[in-house]
Amino acid sequence: MQMENKIAKEFRKFKPFDFYQTGTEKYYLLPFRFHQINSEKEVIVNEVGDFLIVPIGTARRIAEKEIEYEESLFIDLVTNFFISEKPIPDLIDVLATRYRTKKSFLDDFTALHIFVVSLRCNHSCHYCQVSRVSENRQDFDMSVENLKHAIEHMFRSPSAAVTMEFQGGEPLLAFEKIKFGVEYAKLLNKKYQKEITFVICTNATVFTQEIFDFCYYHEIRISTSLDGPEFLHNANRPKLGTKSYEMVIDGINTARAELGHDMVSALMTTTALSLNYPIEIIENYIENGFDHIFLRPISPYGFALKNQKKNHYHTRKYLDFYKKGLDYIIQLNKEGHFIVEDYTTIILKKILTPFPVSYVDLQSPAGIINNVVVYNYDGHVYASDESRMLAESGDFTFRIGHVKDDYKSLFYGEKARYFANFWSNESLAGCSDCGFQTYCGADPVFHHASQSDLEGYRPTSDFCLKNMEIIRHIFDLIDKEGKQVLSIFNSWVNNRPIIKAL
Amino acid sequence: MIIDKINSSTFQIRVNSRIYNIETLHKCFYWYSGKFSIDIASDNELAVITISDFPEELEFDDILTTIKKDLIDFKTRDIVAKETANIRTLLIAKAFANNDEFDEVPFGDINDPIGFDAKEF
Repeated sequence: MQMENKIAKEFRKFKPFDFYQTGTEKYYLLPFRFHQINSEKEVIVNEVGDFLIVPIGTARRIAEKEIEYEESLFIDLVTNFFISEKPIPDLIDVLATRYRTKKSFLDDFTALHIFVVSLRCNHSCHYCQVSRVSENRQDFDMSVENLKHAIEHMFRSPSAAVTMEFQGGEPLLAFEKIKFGVEYAKLLNKKYQKEITFVICTNATVFTQEIFDFCYYHEIRISTSLDGPEFLHNANRPKLGTKSYEMVIDGINTARAELGHDMVSALMTTTALSLNYPIEIIENYIENGFDHIFLRPISPYGFALKNQKKNHYHTRKYLDFYKKGLDYIIQLNKEGHFIVEDYTTIILKKILTPFPVSYVDLQSPAGIINNVVVYNYDGHVYASDESRMLAESGDFTFRIGHVKDDYKSLFYGEKARYFANFWSNESLAGCSDCGFQTYCGADPVFHHASQSDLEGYRPTSDFCLKNMEIIRHIFDLIDKEGKQVLSIFNSWVNNRPIIKAL
Repeated sequence: MIIDKINSSTFQIRVNSRIYNIETLHKCFYWYSGKFSIDIASDNELAVITISDFPEELEFDDILTTIKKDLIDFKTRDIVAKETANIRTLLIAKAFANNDEFDEVPFGDINDPIGFDAKEF
């Protein structure tokens, strides 16, 4: 017993530094990648997304085993799993657990289920990615039979928490289908006991008291579109004979009054016209009571491509727009006004926390099927929302079957297995060595749509250009502005304002 | 590194293939293949990279500066990738194992420094 205590005490003691120097190697490398972030610094990123901002050339020095024990960097590299003093680090299980945590979104599999209950719409937005039909064409509504099949598939998902999102067209034009869908899902859920979040994506112009009462009772969230100031919103989202902006603002305010302020969110789409007005768009969101904004580029899918003049712009122009907007938002936060840019926050969660982010466009393996599936109005099932947008212009590459097909053939079938060849950035040319791999994702649908190649060709990929530059810009800000911008970024990750000490 | 200008739009870069292996060269010049045509030939001693269709609006010297830097970076990536291939495989096997078959026995004796014995509770 005494001996055991002695050994136990021995293990508890701090050892001299040379105790840890084992073998002939000065140190052993652990997997890491790197990327230059400005003219002086590069960022090194390990396998689980931990990072260090270091002078340019440091990655080469690490690889060439030039880092000396006496350098403070040595300890930083060991404690952050960039190098190890043993061939296999003692804490490899900790690192493995962290890797598993980063990929834990896979455990839940498909969590977002999108139901396109109708293709009918009362708007004619030039950037709409789906073919919309006039309000009275009810043959473009989802049938009750198909809706039931789709909901039953949702409950076959292993995910304990699912989101049931109603889209269109304008889904509220088929409100009876939404009512049936929610009630049928709740009925089945007595057996399955999943946590269900209901969302209706609407242009907020066709609300009725009956709709509000139903949404309030079932705690349904409203997601709407607001593109910025009146002149911009109306230009982007025309509605015959009426002013869309006035209607959507009225819809947002009424919905907040009926359902609660936080039950209503808005998304903007950046058109060619929007590029000139980042500040005005952000100000408009603040004026309308939002503390979140997603500076979202247009999706190059389906009918959005038909109007090139209004919808097509070079990604570099979008990046200028994004940076101007982000700078302004950061400045507002510095002045004490809490407002969050959502896309930056998605990336920051990947950089600053050990957890994954369920954002289907920026995951590896990709979000298609793994996180999202779309049940279209005609009963066909698609691998993602963008997949059905492609289908509306005649490209059925990402149609995985019909709601009447069995679950296994839809979610684990031949097509799903084919897509798997292209959905991990760890194995894609250009991505496999990329310093930002852990923070980025794979998007075979985007690359198929823009380059006719599911794998994608990184040197001319707009997806790659956009995400590489945004992530580099975020690290550049962290490097140059330090603690002040980091405290703002952390407040976005935690979704609460910075509390200043008294 | 030896640079030869063949004509106004064609250049050759010769490097020691023992310093820059073929994988490093492919990964490095992949990123330039959207700008101009690349051909890579390599034997045990020498690698020859032929750049053709070089666009008039670009300055070759500017591109050469970035190529030199990228070659060093991709060589570094190659060193890291090769040395860490096994540990990375082990890490991922451990991460996705469905049981504890890959778990390591914790280093040392798990005990409480103040003599508290968890087994008694």
